[in-house]
Amino acid sequence: MTPPTTTPTPPPTPARLGEGIDRVDARVKTAGRAAYPTDTAYPGLAHAVLVQSTIAAGRITALDAAAAEAAPGVLAVISHENVPALREAPDRSASLPPPPLRDDRIHHHGQTVAVVVADSFEQATEAARLVRVTYAADAVVADLDHPDAQHDHDPFGTDGGTGDVEKALEAAPVRVEGTYRTAANTNNPMGPFATVAHWEGDHLTVHDCTQGPSRTRADLAATLGVPPEAVRVLAPYLGGGFGAGLRTWGHTVLAAVAARQVGRPVKLVLTRKQMFTSVGHRPDTKQTVRIGATRDGRITALDHRAWQSLSMTDANMEPVSHTSQSSYASPNIATRDVQVRLNVPAPGSMRAPGDAQGNYALECALDELAHELGMDPLELRLRNYADEHPVTGQQWSCNDLRACYEAGAEMFGWERRDPEPRSTRRGRTLVGYGMAGTSFFFYQADCAARVTVGADGGAVVESSGMDIGTGTYTVMTQLGAELLGLPVGRVRMVMGDSSLPAAPSAGGSGLTAAMGTAVHNASRHLLQSFLDLVRDDAESPLRGVALDGVRAEDGRIVRTDDGRGEAYTAMLARHGRDRLSAEGSAEAPGQKGAVVPTGPYAAKFAEVHVDEDLGVIRVARLVTAAHCGRVLNEKTARSQLVGGTVGGIGMALLEETVTEPHTGRIANPTLGDYLVAVNADIPRLGVRFVGGPDPTNPNGTKGCGELGIPGTPAAIANAVFHATGVRVRRLPIRIEDVL
Amino acid sequence: MRSFAYVRAGTVEEAVAAAAADPEAAYLAGGTTQVDLMRDEVFRPARLVDITRLPLRGVERRDDGGGVLVVGALTTMEELAAHGDVTTRLPLVREALLRGASPQLRHMATVGGNLLQRTRCRYYRDPSTACNKRAPGTGCAALDGHHRMHAVLGTSPHCIATHPSDLAVALLALDAAVRVHGPDGERAVPLGEFYRTPGSTPHVENALTHGELITHLEIPLLPPEARSGYLKVRDRASYEFALASVAAALVVDEDGRIRSARLALGGVGTVPWRVPRAEELLRGARPDDDVLRAAAEAALSGAEGRPDNAFKIGLGRRAVVRMLGALARGEEPDGAARGEGR
Repeated sequence: MTPPTTTPTPPPTPARLGEGIDRVDARVKTAGRAAYPTDTAYPGLAHAVLVQSTIAAGRITALDAAAAEAAPGVLAVISHENVPALREAPDRSASLPPPPLRDDRIHHHGQTVAVVVADSFEQATEAARLVRVTYAADAVVADLDHPDAQHDHDPFGTDGGTGDVEKALEAAPVRVEGTYRTAANTNNPMGPFATVAHWEGDHLTVHDCTQGPSRTRADLAATLGVPPEAVRVLAPYLGGGFGAGLRTWGHTVLAAVAARQVGRPVKLVLTRKQMFTSVGHRPDTKQTVRIGATRDGRITALDHRAWQSLSMTDANMEPVSHTSQSSYASPNIATRDVQVRLNVPAPGSMRAPGDAQGNYALECALDELAHELGMDPLELRLRNYADEHPVTGQQWSCNDLRACYEAGAEMFGWERRDPEPRSTRRGRTLVGYGMAGTSFFFYQADCAARVTVGADGGAVVESSGMDIGTGTYTVMTQLGAELLGLPVGRVRMVMGDSSLPAAPSAGGSGLTAAMGTAVHNASRHLLQSFLDLVRDDAESPLRGVALDGVRAEDGRIVRTDDGRGEAYTAMLARHGRDRLSAEGSAEAPGQKGAVVPTGPYAAKFAEVHVDEDLGVIRVARLVTAAHCGRVLNEKTARSQLVGGTVGGIGMALLEETVTEPHTGRIANPTLGDYLVAVNADIPRLGVRFVGGPDPTNPNGTKGCGELGIPGTPAAIANAVFHATGVRVRRLPIRIEDVL
Repeated sequence: MRSFAYVRAGTVEEAVAAAAADPEAAYLAGGTTQVDLMRDEVFRPARLVDITRLPLRGVERRDDGGGVLVVGALTTMEELAAHGDVTTRLPLVREALLRGASPQLRHMATVGGNLLQRTRCRYYRDPSTACNKRAPGTGCAALDGHHRMHAVLGTSPHCIATHPSDLAVALLALDAAVRVHGPDGERAVPLGEFYRTPGSTPHVENALTHGELITHLEIPLLPPEARSGYLKVRDRASYEFALASVAAALVVDEDGRIRSARLALGGVGTVPWRVPRAEELLRGARPDDDVLRAAAEAALSGAEGRPDNAFKIGLGRRAVVRMLGALARGEEPDGAARGEGR
């Protein structure tokens, strides 16, 4: 059975590209008609529940499933003792973690050791409690500073820089050095991750909380040893991901394994507690930043080292210090990353992975340098503006960070800042201003899309990628409408299905550029297909006209020379066609050459209030000026910046996944104990878009999905210093740090 | 599947009889904590006695003494906060209520249940860990674990779990009492005698015996000239338990001397914490900084911190000084936190 298709309903009025129209999927979502993976039902659906380890290191000496198997409704208990063979990913840096239940070894607390399948969720939950696991425990290594921890050096191949940093530091008239720490954070999307797996013969259909259906399909096929064509992954909607859906985690594999084993469709929903151990998290970091400068504030040396936690068995692509290679002009730069193997759950991407932590340390160090120099922090950044790539010397494809600084400072009223720390107060409230810049990384992967115009004159745009809540449905609808000369209401975007032309995962702020380019190319190909259709058509005013001699408008293709043209519907009807389709693809732009494709930029300005006696810290104002290239939808883009900023405020002041060093157990795996920002923590957030289109892609876009996070914690931390005179080099900053 | 018996009681007597007859029975009211604890396997009652239909909802004013509010135990937190006398005469109760939980929870949670809510200690709530309160004799994992939120007052080597209620702190300061109906009849217990520090029996949290049911709260009104308030210090601006909180009421004479003082602390104790010595120091004194600091010292007297939570001792003192000073000056107490959410 295929679940009901919930096609987004576009708004009735035409809209221009860039205009902040409401989300085209707003209606189905608010009416409860959007089919999330957890909403999927099949006749005969069975339910799976995970059993997870209660030690962090060691091995299973006995796993007694007898009581669980005898419990009412239980269909199967699958553990390392009876799981069918699962294949290892050929490349551990890829999206596929090691397969679940591979052996008796325990590498972290909360590791899945069994899955119980039963007729009902309640029966499976109860039986999962009856699985008796006996362990032989080893010593736990779960602390970034643990002397016995294994260090993986330069794990991403990104270490490097330019010049001789040590020599330059030695010679520098002014030096600052700081060690900064960031806590582990957990993505915590509102929707718990879930998988529904259904086999029909050798064909597998999976409804999954994923940010990339095509990638999940490839991973499942590789793990299960079946051809990719035999797997279909559906995910039209996702209840939030923040990077947690970028990998094919064990529970997704186990749902498919369980469904095959019991011969019924199986649904597996993670509990909130399991969400802390099963779908990645932002690893904690320790970072040392050393900067050397001249007395007039020119940076002569920048050294950035980062240590981050990693699980024992997995890989995680998360360059932390790398941002310091591209942020400021300096003749001498060195960045080094180390991953520290610990008995912790596998980390993974969480919105702005690596950059969120790295930017925090770099931008705090800049603030320390500004204070040391007695220079305005904004002036310091302008004085060290990277007019070209500081390490490679390449030209930026498009960099309007300077405009971000100017617009942000003006919106915020930065010139009113008294440079003296602890100089501004209102009663018992200390007031601080802080700022930070962000040069976010560039990422884009290969993507394909298909565009179809039907006999009714409406268009369908298809690509397998996901709208994870960012507005992809909406901006691709707008883009398709613009490129095909149709009202938004005549274009339907279909996504979240691995059987559609393959798109990359929604990650790295790269999907809009990738899919937008593919849709652009597909639309151009479709116009060409229409011109081909009427190439020899004596009745058509478009006969023999080339693509560069036409434009699309009002449901028609029109000659640019004399304005004559005809409607899609007329061409289709005359040639007896009910539709015309074309595919288009986009390749990742190369990083080599004289010009380097560049990511988005932002400048953030924060005002914090600190209660002088009680240490309570609240963000009173925060403004962002962002350069995101051409903005396809002002409203959804703004929402991305606002939402990211909320996450950044949480990272700065609230969010910390606490792992007990001696047990490896996460001490706060609930939404009551892991604090995310609530409405009362969030002031009015100002966002302004500045700067020009990026020529890297035909639509001129840059990504904006992650830009809200980096810069925000540093701006807040710098504002806390300005308010209190206390330099806290650790996130989250809390009451006891400023008392 | 785990099954349990469920009965819905129509009268108080019926409820008490049903609970008393089964040693593994528990009452169910708003369920905002109880159901979570059952899901987490902290509670495994064999029988739930649903008391939500009992006629114990609403507030009446009795005019003996200075006036007493008799509050049905099933009155919700929101209902009590909205009551006219609470708004005008008991700001500390209103503020304690509205700074707790979230609006959704406050509309479900009852005031009787609020007084009996269980600690937020994550070890208590995770059956895979040692906890003397949940499983007597197993030890206390919080001692060497993560205990930033834990208590610094009233602790023992067996338990350092913080009492989570805000309302109880305000009621303790007011000398409120609970009326209890049990198998052996009715009795009233002053809140000051209701809670038990953990000692060597952390699983015994209060004076109730099995089957006893809180039917009403009796809250004495403050005199009209009193100033009162509730200061709650926490990481998050809303929907978060206290790191330290202070419920206080002062009557200041025209000559500037304190005629009467009431003071209780939350977030720092294993039980809601009141120190008569601190109130004595205030009585008859002018509320200058030295006096307030002396009262704060007395209030935190005997506090013992551990690595993660030692800061609460100083924070508690500062909160006491801030709250009392604000009341004495007729100001709002929580500065930056004020008006930025509840």
